[in-house]
Amino acid sequence: MKFDRRLLFNFDWVLLFLVLSISFIGVLNLYSAGYSLADLNGKPLYVRQMYWIMIGLMFMVICFCIDYRFIGRYAYVFYVISIILLIVVFFYGSGAHGSQRWLVVGGFFFQPSEVVKLTVILALAKYFDDNQTNENYNLRKLLLPFLIALLPFLLILKQPDLGTALILIVLFLSMAIFIGVKWSSIISAAISGIVLVPLCWNVLKNYQKERILAFFNPERDPLGSGYHVIQSIIAVGSGGIIGKGFLRGTQTHLKFLPEQQTDFVFSVFAEEWGFLGGTVLMGIFFVLVLWGLNVARNSRDLLGALIVFGVTMLVFWEVFINIGMVLGIIPVVGLPLPFLSYGGSSMVVLMAGIGLIMNVSMRRFILQQKE
Amino acid sequence: MPKVQDNLIKYDPSKFRKKFKILLWVVSIALFILIARMWCLQVIKGDVLRQRSKDNRVRLREIKPLRGLIKDVKGNILVGNRASFDISIIPEDAGYVNAVVKNLEGLYSSKGLKLSGMNILPEKKRRKPFVPIKLEREISREKLAITKTHSLDLPGVVIDVMPVREYFLGEMMAHILGYVGEISHSELKRDIYGIYKTGDMVGKYGIEKCLDKYLKGGSGGEQIEVNVAGRELKVLGKIDPVPGYNVVLTVDSHLQRIAQDAFKGKAGSVVVMDVRDGSVLVMLNKPSFDPNLFNRGISTDNWERLLNNPLHPMENRTISGMYPPGSTYKLIVAAAALEEGLITPKTSFFCNGSFTLGDRTYRCWEKRGHGEISLHRAIVESCDVYFYNLGKLIGIAKLGEYARGFGLGAKTGIDLPGEKKGLIPTREWKLNRFKEPWQMGETISVAIGQGFMLVTPIQLLNVYCALANGGTFYVPRIIKGIETAEGQIVKQFNPKIKSRIPVSKKNIEILKKALWGAVNENKGTGRVLKRKEKDVCGKTGTAQVVGLPENDDEKKEETPYKLRDHALFVCFAPYKNPEIAVIVVVEHGGHGGSAAAPIARKIIDGYFDNIKTENAKLVAIGQSR
Repeated sequence: MKFDRRLLFNFDWVLLFLVLSISFIGVLNLYSAGYSLADLNGKPLYVRQMYWIMIGLMFMVICFCIDYRFIGRYAYVFYVISIILLIVVFFYGSGAHGSQRWLVVGGFFFQPSEVVKLTVILALAKYFDDNQTNENYNLRKLLLPFLIALLPFLLILKQPDLGTALILIVLFLSMAIFIGVKWSSIISAAISGIVLVPLCWNVLKNYQKERILAFFNPERDPLGSGYHVIQSIIAVGSGGIIGKGFLRGTQTHLKFLPEQQTDFVFSVFAEEWGFLGGTVLMGIFFVLVLWGLNVARNSRDLLGALIVFGVTMLVFWEVFINIGMVLGIIPVVGLPLPFLSYGGSSMVVLMAGIGLIMNVSMRRFILQQKE
Repeated sequence: MPKVQDNLIKYDPSKFRKKFKILLWVVSIALFILIARMWCLQVIKGDVLRQRSKDNRVRLREIKPLRGLIKDVKGNILVGNRASFDISIIPEDAGYVNAVVKNLEGLYSSKGLKLSGMNILPEKKRRKPFVPIKLEREISREKLAITKTHSLDLPGVVIDVMPVREYFLGEMMAHILGYVGEISHSELKRDIYGIYKTGDMVGKYGIEKCLDKYLKGGSGGEQIEVNVAGRELKVLGKIDPVPGYNVVLTVDSHLQRIAQDAFKGKAGSVVVMDVRDGSVLVMLNKPSFDPNLFNRGISTDNWERLLNNPLHPMENRTISGMYPPGSTYKLIVAAAALEEGLITPKTSFFCNGSFTLGDRTYRCWEKRGHGEISLHRAIVESCDVYFYNLGKLIGIAKLGEYARGFGLGAKTGIDLPGEKKGLIPTREWKLNRFKEPWQMGETISVAIGQGFMLVTPIQLLNVYCALANGGTFYVPRIIKGIETAEGQIVKQFNPKIKSRIPVSKKNIEILKKALWGAVNENKGTGRVLKRKEKDVCGKTGTAQVVGLPENDDEKKEETPYKLRDHALFVCFAPYKNPEIAVIVVVEHGGHGGSAAAPIARKIIDGYFDNIKTENAKLVAIGQSR
C-alpha cells in the first residue's frame, strides 16, 4: 500500500482532541476515586489507566493506518477469532465477583467480551455491505446477521456479564434499523420480544434478578443490591450545582460506592463537579457522538458508514446506559463508561474503534476524487 | 478492487439522510433525559441529598462470622476463637490527629500503660483523610476499657473487633489442624464462584484448609449511621452472620499428648489408628510449629525460621514423609511367599550371617548368623538372610504386586492435603528413571525393605491394621463428623472399607503369631513392648539412609546425623481382638528396637492404662444420663 500524503492533511484532529480530553478527565477522576482507597499492591489505578491510554493510542494508530476496506475484507476472520477467545475464556478464564471474564496473556488481563463488541460491528458491517438491496430487510433476511450477534451474546451471558451481552443485541438492532427494516417486521419482532421476556427472566442468575428488582424498588434490599443505586443517587445528588470539589466527595471517600472506579465512576465525577461538571462532560460526549454520526453520513461507501455508525452507537449506548444506571433510571447491568471507567480492555477497544472512525473520516476525500 | 468499486457506485448516501436526522433527535433526547435527571437530583433534590450525605453517613460494614470449632473425639475443643481488638484513627473524623493521639497516650499513661503499636504517625501530607491509621494491634482489655469510656474525647478513634483463631494445644496438633491466614491473590483468582473477598481469612493447611467451606460460615452486614465526627449513631439494618460448622475429629487429644510426651526431643512421627474402623487416634509430627503464629499474619522472622529449619517443622511427615520401610516390610514378603505357595511355615533356610549373589555378599544384621531358620523365627529375630532367599524366590514383579495389594504405592485417601504415594520399584520404573535394567541384587535389597522402596508412615500403619483386623483395608479416617454450632449433625464420615489384603485368614494368623513372637519371645527384636499381659504384636525396622561401610556398629555415634538410619516400629494390640495399631518413626534414630519401640511402649501403656478406663467412664456417664 502506497502512503498517500493527503491522508495526513485529512486527519481528524477534532476527534482526537475530543477523545483525549475525555480520557484526561477520566484519569483525574480515577485519581480522586482511588485517593482514599488503601493502596492495593502495585501502581494506583489512575497510573495504570494512563498506560492503557498509551496502549490504546497505539491500537488507534494501527486502526487508522490500514485502509478500512482492507480491514473489512477480513471482518469475518476477526469475528471468528474473537469467538474462539470467548470459548477459551469459558474454559480457562479467570474471574472476579463470581464471573469468568478474563484471559491472562503474558501477565496482562484482558476481556475478550470487550473485543467482541468491535468484531461484531465489523462483521455486521461487512454482511450488510455485501448484501445490499433496495428494499428493506424482513425478519427472514435478518436471521443470519442476528446470529452473528446472538452467538457471542449467549457466550457472554453465560460468563455471566449481562451488560456486555445486552449491548451486542442493542448494537445489532441499531445497525439493522439503520440499514432499513420493514415496519411489519419491526412490529412482529417487538411482539415476540415481549412474549420472550418472562422466559429470559428464568435464564438470569439470581443476583441479576435481584438487581433488576432492586431497580424498581431500591429500598427492597438496602443492604444488598439496592445499596449501589441508593448510594449512587445520594452521591450524585449531594454534588449540587457546582459540586463538592476535586478530592472532596464524601460519598466517594467514605467508600459508600463499591464500584467507584469502574461502573460507578460517574457518580464520583458528579459528586465532585456537580451539575455543571456533569453537563460539560455529557456535552463532550454529545459532540463526540454527533461527530461520529457526521463522519458516517459523509462516508463514501456503505461499509465505512456502517463501521463508523456501529462504533458511534457503541459509545452512545454505553454512555447512555452507564450514566442512566448511575442516575437510577436504568437497572444496574454492569457496563463501563467509555474512557472514564477503569479497565484496560474497554479502553483499548474503544480507542481502536475511534481509530476506525478516523480511518473512514480521512479516506473520504481520496475516494471522492477517484469518483 | 472491483468489488469495492461496485459497492461504491451502488452506495447512495441520500437514502440515509433522513435517518441521520432522526438519529440527531434520538441522541439529543437521550442527552436531555440524562441532564433532566441530573437537574432533578442535583438541583431540585440537591439540598436534601447533600444533607443526607452530610448528616447521616450510612456506612455498610461487614460482620465477619465466627469460624467453626474443631473438637476431638471426646468433644474437647481443640480450636476456638477469641476476640482481638485493634485501635485506629480516621484522620478526617479526628480533625487534629496529633492532638487526639496525644490525648489517648495521656489517658493510657495515667494508668501506667503505653501506646506501643506505632510510634510515628505518617506526615500530614501523606495521610489520606478517610483511610484509618492503625495505632495498635491486639490491645489489652484495660486499654480497651479506657478507650471505650473516653470515646467522647477521642474523635475519630475506632476500635475494630476481629475474631482470631485460637489453637489451644499450641504445636501439638498443628499438622492435623493446620492454620488460617488472609486469602492470597492466587487463591482469590482461583475462586471462580466468588465465595471469598479480599481480606477474608481462609484455611491454609490441614483441616482448616480442606474443610474451609464448612468452617468459614457466612458473613453478615450492618448499615450504620455515623455523624460528622464519624461516631456511630445507630444501626439501621442488620443481617446476622452465620457461624461456621463445627468439625469433630477422630483424634483423641489425651492420647496425642501421651505420644507427644513420649516423643520429646526427636524428629519423626507417630500415628495411632483404631484397627476396627481406620479412625486415626493420634497423628504426631516432630518438630512442629505453633499455628497461633499465623493468626494475624506471621512475621517474616518467624516464617523464615520455619522455612529454613533443616528438620522441616511444616511438613506432615505421617502422610508426606517417605521412608524405606526396613524390616517392617518383611511381613509383606512373607505373605507373598506363603500365598504363592513358595514356602510353608516349615520351610527353612540356613543363615551363616551372609548371603552371596554373583560376586556380591549381603550381610545379615546378626553377623554370627541365625543357623537353620524357618518363617516364624525369621520374623521374630528379623533374619535378613532368610528374606534374601525369599526375595530371590518371589522376584521383583510379584513383590511389587503384593506391595500394591497392601495399599503401598497409592494414597491411602485420608482427608488431609499433601498426601504422597510412596514408591514401589519395578523393572519398568527403573528403566524409565535411570535408563538401566533391573539388577537381581536390588530385588534382594527390596526384600528387606531397603533400596528404592519408599512408604509413608500412614501407609505402613494401614498394612498392619489390616493384618490385625483379619484382612480388611480401611481408608484412614480423621474427620468424624460435621455439626452446626448448636450441635446438630450436618454430615457424618463413616468408616470406609477400601479392599481386602490378598492374604488368606490362615496365613494372616501365621503372620500375627510371628509378630506376637517378635515382642514376647526371648530373642524377639521388639522385646521392649513385652507387657505383663503379653498382648502386643509388633515389628521393628531400621531404614538405611545410605549404605554404611562394614563394621560400622561401633562408630554409630560418630556418624553424621543426616546419615544415620531411621528407626521404625509398628505394632498392634491386643493380640486377640486387636483395638489399636501404632507406628513410630524416629528419623535418624538408629535401631528400631532401641529408638522407636520404647516410644510405642509408652503409647500402648497409656492407651490400655488410661484411655480405655477413661472411655469406659464416659460410656458409663452417657448411659446413666
